[in-house]
Amino acid sequence: MAMISLQDVAITRGRRLVIDGFSAALEAGTITAIVGPNGCGKSSLLAAIAGDIPLTRGEISLAGRDISEISLSQQAELRSVVLQNRNYWLSYTVREVIAMGQNRDAQQRMDAIIEVLNMTTFADQSVTTLSGGQAQRVEIARALIRDSEIYLLDEPLAAQDSQSKSRVISILQKLRDQGKTILVIAHSDKQSLSWCDHVIDTLA
Amino acid sequence: MKRFYLLVIALALLSLYALSLGAADVANVWRYITHPLFDINSPSHQIIWEIRAPRIAAAILVGSCLGIAGVLAQGSTNNPLADPAILGTSAGASVGVLAGVLLNVVTIGSVGAVICASIGALLATLFTFSLARSALQLITIGIGVSAILTAVVGLVLSMATRADARSVSFWSFGSLALVTPRTLLILLPILLVCGFLAWQVAPAVDLLSLGDESVRHIGHDAQKIRLRAFAILATLVAVTVSSVGSIAFLALAAPHIARYLVGPRNRTLIFYSAAIGALILLFADSASRALFPPNELPIGLLTSLLGAPILILTLKKGGDVWR
Repeated sequence: MAMISLQDVAITRGRRLVIDGFSAALEAGTITAIVGPNGCGKSSLLAAIAGDIPLTRGEISLAGRDISEISLSQQAELRSVVLQNRNYWLSYTVREVIAMGQNRDAQQRMDAIIEVLNMTTFADQSVTTLSGGQAQRVEIARALIRDSEIYLLDEPLAAQDSQSKSRVISILQKLRDQGKTILVIAHSDKQSLSWCDHVIDTLA
Repeated sequence: MKRFYLLVIALALLSLYALSLGAADVANVWRYITHPLFDINSPSHQIIWEIRAPRIAAAILVGSCLGIAGVLAQGSTNNPLADPAILGTSAGASVGVLAGVLLNVVTIGSVGAVICASIGALLATLFTFSLARSALQLITIGIGVSAILTAVVGLVLSMATRADARSVSFWSFGSLALVTPRTLLILLPILLVCGFLAWQVAPAVDLLSLGDESVRHIGHDAQKIRLRAFAILATLVAVTVSSVGSIAFLALAAPHIARYLVGPRNRTLIFYSAAIGALILLFADSASRALFPPNELPIGLLTSLLGAPILILTLKKGGDVWR
């Protein structure tokens, strides 16, 4: 059974049809990248799978269940999401932000997550003082601290240096090997996505 | 926690000093203050304990209400510019009280006035809420709603020819002069109940700083959290507006100053912002009574004059609190 399945999906942003007739089936234990140029609708696609925006047509299901029929908290249990362009306003510490809204189980993984994403040096710093790459790793940590079957990541490597990139990649591959389903949005070329199992080009 | 005790001690000392201030020159004023049961039937005792003391208590309660309302307004819209005046809440409460008074249903400072103000505040806030589709729109639409309602209050007040219209217009600029002991009996329970409810919703309001989508992704509904916060803040604002009118700037400034002292966590912030709101309002009201007796200066001007420099200073010093 496909963990993430999209059938004939169409998405409208404003008055523009950005995605029209998109279908895909993502199996458990795989990493899939969706690529395409700016404005092709790949982030909209991720937002639709996350349940943030309504579909104009079609159907999306997670673990065999239509997302329009499962509750917010059930969706939250099934999948974790990493968004891009995070802008922090308030001076919560990195730890505080990662812990926000997480259950006790997740919070017990805090130190391990901070360690593995190489965040120890700024874990007690205010999130308003972080660089773009650091802030993005906080977002990745917020998703990875949750034990989900599905991880959706919007450009997780965009602001990372090469060392952080390879760390994030190896974490995602480890999760894949544990049977998790991973979907990454990227606008890089296909050659640099050799670490993914499948690459879907929205233009193709 | 130490800072909080310092704020409370400052508040207590200022309250005692404020008892000695006022238009009437009371002989042996400190004797009456330090011995509350001394010479009970004298006019001096009445001035200090039946006129000044309730007013001081009202300043503390109203300042606390506005401090908490400001925390909820800024937290739930995730915006440093938000305060109940900007969301249309204060103006809605004014319209409610004004309608009640002009239709001869209630008098200012009564329980009826609080109910009228609450209805007005809740309707205006919900109206803003129902039109806005994002946290930012809450602010922009709130400014519009607020402008319309403020204009309505102003126009009605300038057209009203009734004898009591003047006192209504006096009240609409904010004044603690009309406070009676009965006002306190309305303010105190509402502050306690709403303060507790605010404390309950505070961790959820923390989540809103992640942005609405991220709140959804971890299984919560941002609009529902916001609606809870708005209901509490509308009630807090309603009780202050119906008893002392709308007081400028306090609900905006107090949370920022508190955040500078203790950081952004809303649970802690509620206590500090309440204490700071109380301190500023008590200081402003004491100054308004003491500077040019027997005239009273408009309290809203003094809260601005006092709150704004502190706000600017804290924002300049604590630059990373709000980036």
